[in-house]
Amino acid sequence: MITDAQRFQPFSEEPIRLIDEGGAWVAPFSCDLDDDTLIGLYRHMVLGRMVDERLVRLQRLGKSSFVAPSSGHEAAQVGIAAALRVGRDWVFPYYRDTALALALGWPLEEMLGQMMGTRADPARARQMPAHPGSRALNMFTVASPIASHVPVAVGTAIAQKLAGAGDATVCTFGDGATSEGDWHAGVNFASAQGAPIVFACENNRYAISVDLQHQTGSPNVAAKAHAYGMPGYLVDGMDVLASYLVMRDVMAAARDGLGPALVELTVYRYGPHSTADDDSVYRSGEEVAAWRERDPIPRYRRFLEAREVWSDAREDELRAALKAEIDVAVKASDDAGPVPVEWMFDDVLSRPTPQLERQRERFRAARRAAGEDVEG
Amino acid sequence: MAVQNYVQTIARTLMEEMRRDERVVVLGEDVGKRGGVFLATEHLYDTFGPDRVIDTPLSEAAIIGAAIGMSVHGRRPVAEIQFSDYVYPGFDQLVSQAAKLRYRSGGAFTAPMVVRMPAGGGVKGGHHHSQNPEAHFVHTPGLQVVYPSTPSDAKGCLKTAIRGDDPVVFLEPKRLYRAVKEDVSDDVDFTLPSGSGVRRREGDDVVLISYGASMGETLKAADTLSEQGIAADVIDLRWLMPWDERLVLERVAAVGRVVLVSEATHSASMISEVAATIAEEVLDMLEAPPLRVSGFDTPYPYAQDRVYLPGPNRILHAVQQVLDY
Repeated sequence: MITDAQRFQPFSEEPIRLIDEGGAWVAPFSCDLDDDTLIGLYRHMVLGRMVDERLVRLQRLGKSSFVAPSSGHEAAQVGIAAALRVGRDWVFPYYRDTALALALGWPLEEMLGQMMGTRADPARARQMPAHPGSRALNMFTVASPIASHVPVAVGTAIAQKLAGAGDATVCTFGDGATSEGDWHAGVNFASAQGAPIVFACENNRYAISVDLQHQTGSPNVAAKAHAYGMPGYLVDGMDVLASYLVMRDVMAAARDGLGPALVELTVYRYGPHSTADDDSVYRSGEEVAAWRERDPIPRYRRFLEAREVWSDAREDELRAALKAEIDVAVKASDDAGPVPVEWMFDDVLSRPTPQLERQRERFRAARRAAGEDVEG
Repeated sequence: MAVQNYVQTIARTLMEEMRRDERVVVLGEDVGKRGGVFLATEHLYDTFGPDRVIDTPLSEAAIIGAAIGMSVHGRRPVAEIQFSDYVYPGFDQLVSQAAKLRYRSGGAFTAPMVVRMPAGGGVKGGHHHSQNPEAHFVHTPGLQVVYPSTPSDAKGCLKTAIRGDDPVVFLEPKRLYRAVKEDVSDDVDFTLPSGSGVRRREGDDVVLISYGASMGETLKAADTLSEQGIAADVIDLRWLMPWDERLVLERVAAVGRVVLVSEATHSASMISEVAATIAEEVLDMLEAPPLRVSGFDTPYPYAQDRVYLPGPNRILHAVQQVLDY
């Protein structure tokens, strides 16, 4: 048996790719995944796309204040998720990981509760949209400051190493994050400790408007791993099978005590940076259209169809089923209603301080004086 | 009881807590083989080994960030920042990650951890080895902040911080590390409740409020006042967030005159917050305006190291003003 570490080579000049643009398997080894697994990957990609498109519509309807579109990232995100053992391994996502979070099993209703800021959000609507987190899934809660989660993820990986249970951590981020001091601080510490962590860069070539040439002089992100003494894999992140199998192999290596790795998954974001961004200012419609031609979902669908495990009928059935699930979750999240005003005072510290209690009392008194319903 | 100085007490307290709870780990620059540049982690590496006493890269962001990640995974990290003046590369980790973790996750994730930092001036270290950063952290919801002034308080507060469920910024007055020795309890469960201040002197003429490194000068001033027949009530806040409003307001209301002392920069300081609270809550009990004796709104000077600090003369001058008001 060829070991995982031998199957893929780090620091390749061209991205590692297992299926070509036409969906044909092009690797020198056979695909070892069963049909259910193959179809599961597709289902999660379509789910991610459909939810993303729905979120943008909900934002336009005023049901959410902010969306960070993830369309174009699905293959990379679903591949990362599939390489995780949910509940044992940890994942530290960033704000564009909609498909990743859903593929891990984040309930749609919770996800929509977070996006819509309702009581359906277990995090009590404390964060702006696009900031997932789930204790049950070992999915760390997203923070906005770019790369600030990288040293934190390393700490969790060091704790995993100390615990000795053979678990590992994945930390995701975009290309812009690799310029932050915290990124380098974290990656360096992980290397010095031999921590079981995989740094997964979803490189979509733009940090809002700043393109990769202005972000770094490195030939690519994976090359940065050289300096930190860890393997760096350059992967076609619009090929779900390459994304999954490379991530699966490097996670296995991390669990085996072989230390950290950096995986660069090249993707393209079809939407703007966020619903507050106008991407037409910094990139052409032709460029976006050209990348649309390389959409990871139809590409993988062609692979499944060639294996005769997918069809137009199954596609229709899947999309109808997912649409129904999303409709139910949107309604449930909406129906859950807004969170109470005074929830804003909870969960600051393990116990409220006398200072905060005084502020709360005064706030209540002012609301009462203004004739407001202080219980609401 | 054992007679020991401040920094010995830190090291021995860490030793006790690491023996008590194997989840406790120590990390930072030079904390392992070197035992810390001030020896605050002396003998820990030899006792517990490199897995629990981690010599880190020279990166405050990595130290504090990793401490958060370890705490999320069930450890009880005690991180050392070599000088509080060097915390700023890790400031984002404290402010954006640790302080907001419980809140932003609705309580799903917490960061029970301690970040120890030697702070304060009087060591001829210039502005990058002398500052008092506590206001930054008091101003950041989601952190507890404590600045004990004595070896015994350091023990009790450090144990409370390690055993608690919040991220705690633990400031240590470095110029007192070896300046004071006292009997420190051998009780391995000696803790001092979060948010508890303490009265160091009892008196009815004026209340002096201070904490941390400035307690020494404040007590000297109280002794001089005592020789002059003026009885000062001296409160050591110890905990800056939460802080002991009940004790402060009760004593200030009873006495009616108050001087607040801290070597930290003047504007928007901890003692400004205490003075504002006094004004809001017990103004009608005051005989004179609360006066602050503080550092100045300058970077910490090198050549004027000692005179920058609010020494007894400046404190006595302020006391005279509130008495004469």
